[in-house]
Amino acid sequence: MRISIEWLRDFLDLPEDLGRMRQELSMVGLVVESMTETDGGPVFEIEITSNRPDCLSHIGVAREIAALYGKKLKAPPVSRVLRAAEERIPYSIEIHDPDLCPRYVGLVFDGIKVAPAPAWMQRRLEAAGMRPVNNVVDITNYVLLERGHPLHAFDFDRLRQGKIVVARASAGQKMVTLDGIERELDDQMLLINDGGGPVAIAGVMGGLNSEISSGTTRVLLECAYFLPVSVRRTSKKLQLSTEASYRFERGADWDGVVAASARTSYLLQKYAGARIAGSMQDVCPAPIVPARIPLERAHAERLLGVSIPSDFIESTLKRLRFKPARKGRGKWLIECPSYRADMELEADLIEEIARFFGYQNIPATLPPSKRVGAHSPVYEYEQAARRILRGLGYSETMSLSFARQEDHAKFPLPSGHPLEIRNPLTEDTQSMRGRLAPGLVRVARHNFHHDQREVRIFEIGKTFARMPDGSVDERHTAGILGTGAWSGKNWHNPAPDYDFFHIKGAVCSLLAGLRCAPFEIVPAGDVPWLDEAESASVVVEERRLGVLGRLHPGLEGELKLKQPVYLAEIDFQPLMPYLFAPVSFQSLARFPAVDRDISIVVPKEVSYSEIRKGILGLGVETLASVDLVDVYEGDPIPPGKMSLTLRLVFLDRESTLTVDRVQGFSDNMRNFLREHFGAEGR
Amino acid sequence: MGPIEELHIQFEEDLGKATSLDQLKTVRDRWLSREQGIVTAGMKKLRELPKEERPSFGQAMNQLRELVESRLEATRAVFQAAEESAGRKRTDVTRPSFPYPMGAHHPIRQLQQEIEEIFVNLGFTVLDIPEAETDYYNFEALNMPRNHPARDAQDTFYFDDNLLLRTHCSPVQVHGMECMQPPIRVVHTGRVYRRDSFDATHSPMFNQIDLLVVDEGITMGDLKGMLAAFLTRMFHRDIRMRLRPGFFPFVEPGAEVDIGCIFCQGIGCRICKQSGWIEILGAGMVHPKVLRMSGVDDSRYTGFAWGMGIDRVAILKYGVDDIRLFFENDLRFLNQF
Repeated sequence: MRISIEWLRDFLDLPEDLGRMRQELSMVGLVVESMTETDGGPVFEIEITSNRPDCLSHIGVAREIAALYGKKLKAPPVSRVLRAAEERIPYSIEIHDPDLCPRYVGLVFDGIKVAPAPAWMQRRLEAAGMRPVNNVVDITNYVLLERGHPLHAFDFDRLRQGKIVVARASAGQKMVTLDGIERELDDQMLLINDGGGPVAIAGVMGGLNSEISSGTTRVLLECAYFLPVSVRRTSKKLQLSTEASYRFERGADWDGVVAASARTSYLLQKYAGARIAGSMQDVCPAPIVPARIPLERAHAERLLGVSIPSDFIESTLKRLRFKPARKGRGKWLIECPSYRADMELEADLIEEIARFFGYQNIPATLPPSKRVGAHSPVYEYEQAARRILRGLGYSETMSLSFARQEDHAKFPLPSGHPLEIRNPLTEDTQSMRGRLAPGLVRVARHNFHHDQREVRIFEIGKTFARMPDGSVDERHTAGILGTGAWSGKNWHNPAPDYDFFHIKGAVCSLLAGLRCAPFEIVPAGDVPWLDEAESASVVVEERRLGVLGRLHPGLEGELKLKQPVYLAEIDFQPLMPYLFAPVSFQSLARFPAVDRDISIVVPKEVSYSEIRKGILGLGVETLASVDLVDVYEGDPIPPGKMSLTLRLVFLDRESTLTVDRVQGFSDNMRNFLREHFGAEGR
Repeated sequence: MGPIEELHIQFEEDLGKATSLDQLKTVRDRWLSREQGIVTAGMKKLRELPKEERPSFGQAMNQLRELVESRLEATRAVFQAAEESAGRKRTDVTRPSFPYPMGAHHPIRQLQQEIEEIFVNLGFTVLDIPEAETDYYNFEALNMPRNHPARDAQDTFYFDDNLLLRTHCSPVQVHGMECMQPPIRVVHTGRVYRRDSFDATHSPMFNQIDLLVVDEGITMGDLKGMLAAFLTRMFHRDIRMRLRPGFFPFVEPGAEVDIGCIFCQGIGCRICKQSGWIEILGAGMVHPKVLRMSGVDDSRYTGFAWGMGIDRVAILKYGVDDIRLFFENDLRFLNQF
């Protein structure tokens, strides 16, 4: 709201130091965002929150200043008489829907000469951000900005019958508003009709058919109170917000209608040649009573935590034009001004007291803690995962949780449908992400474009899906991406390129670090966004809880990545029950372990996990671990075959293993491998 | 002091002067050589002593000889090792280290973690609540019924008539009152969404922290005390703070909280627009209607709530000039944290 300082001076004397007044106003809740110089003098841009429509006017701001400094307000001149000497123009007002329009005041003038408004008025309107039109329109706008009450002037000669009918529209009814746009109405919208049809959308905008023009000589002035929710609904539905609707929807001064008419009448008579030709009619089918709220000093003190004298409470409320009636010691019934639409409960009054008492005068105290604090259950898992992944060299990213349609096409959801946004901003916010992979790839691309081709990142966050039953599935997911050289190449580190076994290592270390129940990484050929030849699933107790592998070469080409990118995605939520398995201590072995390396030549198709499972399945209790220490293909190994070197570690907790026993075990294993995989020894 | 102790002291002085294996050999000869060695000569004196003194003197001389021998041997080992290492190739310790990888810590995540830690220490329970929220939790139960003008300030993404992307973390208040009985202290940090275009100061997604305290006898003074405690921990020093009246539909009285500008110490600069103050969060005493709607007896209990933008604090704390940097995840940016 733009407030002209010169205009404010009509109502009270302002302090010399405007900068200081600006500070002090902000401490009672009126934030002056800026102070600018205009042709009409200095102007305050004040942020008015939606609970204070009464301050959407110069008089409203003047009232706050008066309360702040304990000053009296000067009243601007008004017409004292609102009756016509003789009723030259008979007219009538009918309100059919008093639920939406509890009060309507009309006044009719003749003798009007439409001309430019006086220069001082135009200057003030411009300072407050309004464009001058002509004296009649400008005067209604002037009163709007002065008193905060919207008014509307109809050209009386353009009303089809000399009457005003306030009634709901019928569905599908149409009318052309002042801005020249034809608008379709519904049956919840309130209209002002002239007996022949609509002439205004109540509280929002007038109709083109009854607009003031240069030839207008007779005017019907409307000053009404419309129900806030009704105006707001209409304004929202028509996507039409005006100075009038902005005030009505927040709550206008229901008792200020006569005063606003009187002020307008004065200005019309003085600056537009108007004479009252039809007496004021105040139609009030649904009288409104002022809010009366009980207030107890003890309640104010209980909420604010400070002792407040009764005198202070009374004087503050009186300065703000509330009427306190004593109802006992430290108890009142407070009658609120008609323009304070925000007053509903005792807490509202307590805020009024607090803001003039000064928030700075409330002493700070620390309430005692009666409970032990706790992190959310998912926190410890996610936090541990973050620490592990950072320690493994992956940086945490935070991407927007949105997705484009094409993301879902390229990276189909694991289950359900994309969660679509009904009112997206751009194509980037069409829906919620169903996976983390597309966002991670986008981050990799961004970094590639800035010449950073070694990217190791992860994100832990929520992914979304609309399930077939209509519910929304919102799940904690972890995603990892690696590409480029494994780590900074330097004289001590040959830095091989990132490959499948790096992403697998990240997944395995992460799960091991989270003390996951036994899990397996098994081949997966069914993930459409991963390379069929290089993709796998994470399986825990026969549940697939994640996938990993190389981004599909088709996508790699389509996205012009120019280098292989490896990804993993883990369903964090279902994984949680398998994490942080309790530790059960095993006493340390007193006898040394013995290792044996065995080299075998097997067909290339044989998978390591088959060999490993086979050996472990032999039931040799002393076999403590199996590892693959070397893989070799090429001369002298025949084509189609490969040489594997396995390291077997044997450990007997009860006795020292003899060479003969170990030899016996490894011979058994060689025999087994020969029989099952055609393995030849080397 | 007897003659033998004197000899011992003399030997240690002699040994201390030797700096090489060669010099050590000279010392050895002087003390132990078969012909002129001082110890050898001492032993020869034995015969000249009266019979009754011979056993004790002999014993002492033997001890001295053993000591001299072991000291000479130990010193020789030290000199030997030094001479050997002098000939060995040295490691150039100034070369770059083995590059153990280190992942970067996202600045917003760092703050989020710090903030949650502070509140857990202050007795709060961190709740995990949805981002796809119902109209009830995001607006209705926070005293923002449909057609409430305050909804205008929070342009909302909708999935359908009832389901939306939360516009703030304040639903934690409602969830907190539903899942706990007073005394309640709950907090939540996370992503929130508004229909704002992406530019240097706006993002359709950003991060907030919101909390709720409800108990018997909670006052606005308690709100101030908790704010001061939090800000001190957050910025690691005493922070000037002021509360101004402010409006949020779910609190009454409501407050805007400013802190003394951390860049100019309140003198006035570009960041604080010359005011010396930076608006950092919104707070207030929980609105009686909000308590009632969630089944809390507002005649018995009072409470406070506050909400703060985490990205904004990150912007202030690190001097980041474009909010988009937080979500673009450029490694040149992330690696600075």
